[in-house]
Amino acid sequence: MKINEPFVEKILTAFIREELSKFNYKKGILGLSGGLDSAVCAFLAAKALKPSNVIGLIIPYGETFSKDVKDAQEFSRLLKIKSRIINISPMVDSYFSSYPTENRILKGNKMARERMSILYDFSAREKALILGTSNKTELLLGYGTIHGDMACGINPLGDLYKTQIRQLAEYLGIPEKIRKKIPSAGLWIGQTDEGEIGLPYDEIDKILYQLVDKRTSKKDIIASGFKKETVEKIISLIKNSEFKRKLPPIPKMSSRSVGHDFLFPFDWDK
Amino acid sequence: MKVALAQISPRLGNVEKNFDLHLKYIEKAKKKNVDLLIFPELSLTGYTLKDLVGEVALSPDSNPIFDELKTASRDVSLVFGFVEEKERGLFYNSAAFLSEGKIVHIHRKVFLPTYGMFEEGKFFAQGKNFHTFSTPYGNAGMMICRDFLHYGACYLLFAGGSDIIIVISAAPGRGIQGKEAYETSRMWESMGETISLFSTAFLIYCNRVGFEDGKHFAGGSFIYNPMGKLVAKASYLDNEFLLQEINLNDIREVRKKWPYKRDDRPEIILEALKRIISKYED
Repeated sequence: MKINEPFVEKILTAFIREELSKFNYKKGILGLSGGLDSAVCAFLAAKALKPSNVIGLIIPYGETFSKDVKDAQEFSRLLKIKSRIINISPMVDSYFSSYPTENRILKGNKMARERMSILYDFSAREKALILGTSNKTELLLGYGTIHGDMACGINPLGDLYKTQIRQLAEYLGIPEKIRKKIPSAGLWIGQTDEGEIGLPYDEIDKILYQLVDKRTSKKDIIASGFKKETVEKIISLIKNSEFKRKLPPIPKMSSRSVGHDFLFPFDWDK
Repeated sequence: MKVALAQISPRLGNVEKNFDLHLKYIEKAKKKNVDLLIFPELSLTGYTLKDLVGEVALSPDSNPIFDELKTASRDVSLVFGFVEEKERGLFYNSAAFLSEGKIVHIHRKVFLPTYGMFEEGKFFAQGKNFHTFSTPYGNAGMMICRDFLHYGACYLLFAGGSDIIIVISAAPGRGIQGKEAYETSRMWESMGETISLFSTAFLIYCNRVGFEDGKHFAGGSFIYNPMGKLVAKASYLDNEFLLQEINLNDIREVRKKWPYKRDDRPEIILEALKRIISKYED
């Protein structure tokens, strides 16, 4: 599970630089939440592209997370990247005044998609490619809003577990204030990832690492000392979120179909 | 003899741009009086081609790019990778050895990785042989990437009498817990050391760099001498032009000391293989 931090830093800065240049972008843009993942991504982008080519959008819902907003602002000043605050409460409130709900997951998803919509708009305005910040733990568990925080142009952090990002963040010198923050998707006040998933990241990542990277069987993982219910819960989260990691299925009828046998690389002529 | 390895990052699916890149390295090699310049696997096309395979395929006998590379090989011998349309509609992942204006040999990749992130068997026809051929520098044999990890393939080049074994590769790195490189780089180096030592032959491995669809090619091209000693090594992740003088007399010297080649018995191996195959169940 332990990573070689300088090597990973080198890979990810090279990746950001190379992908942007392939698609003729000079600038990268990302949502800054004041949390760990977006901080690490912004740091790597600033290093890869120069700080003046990185735009951090801070996209709060009203005053709900004013401390995180402050942390994100301070961090973007530290990195010397451009930043901008856009409050999404007018758009979100307007929608929910027409279609009210008390379901906080619905509200949280709407906010995540509102942020996505602003990021894509600014991506076009600023000619900046969107850098995703979904880590491997979230991608595997499906802990993210489809077409919300999971939407991006490239995702530099997608092959690092949360605990590996913590390790990288310490090496990169991300301020302790951000590193020690309790991980939260920021969907509502008091929400924490670990509270919602019901397990601490350390334990989740150890199990995911065995299941995914080491291809260990469920039986052997349980035998090595993890609780049966925990392992089964993680497997079921992975299974039920496969739709978030794929393009939607298309019924194949013709002799050559998108998603089936019309097969071209993402980096076509790049 | 001067050998140069072009550890490059081709543009995916754009033969013309990659041809220009080859010419650039050929010019560089000529200025340094290089005898043999080696490019990575699928250097004229890029690796993750999928359905582009048919569009970028070349027929060596009737292709202007091939003609120009043949001409260039009057000044410097060349090894490079391309998609070959040998029979109509059949596409091979091939390596060409050009020298003195002619095609000396074409190797067609035999072991096409088709598992996990690899899908070569879906798009390429399988090669059928491992030849040793004569070059101005001695007998040589070629393998492409995964071929090299099958020691039976290496043995065929040894048995065939290769003095110089050339491996061209597009190997993505995996594993980030290692010291200074992807963990999989060690696998290639370990093969390089072993095969050079026990074949008492030069082992030249040219890998590529850069990203394609998120796959990160791990570089780290190298040359081992016939004593199994590393004599040249390129960086792991960056473009590089690796130039190395090698002494072909090393082959003769080491074979006096370690007579693996003299003592090899391919006829015994062949008969034993036949017996193994005869026991295959239907």
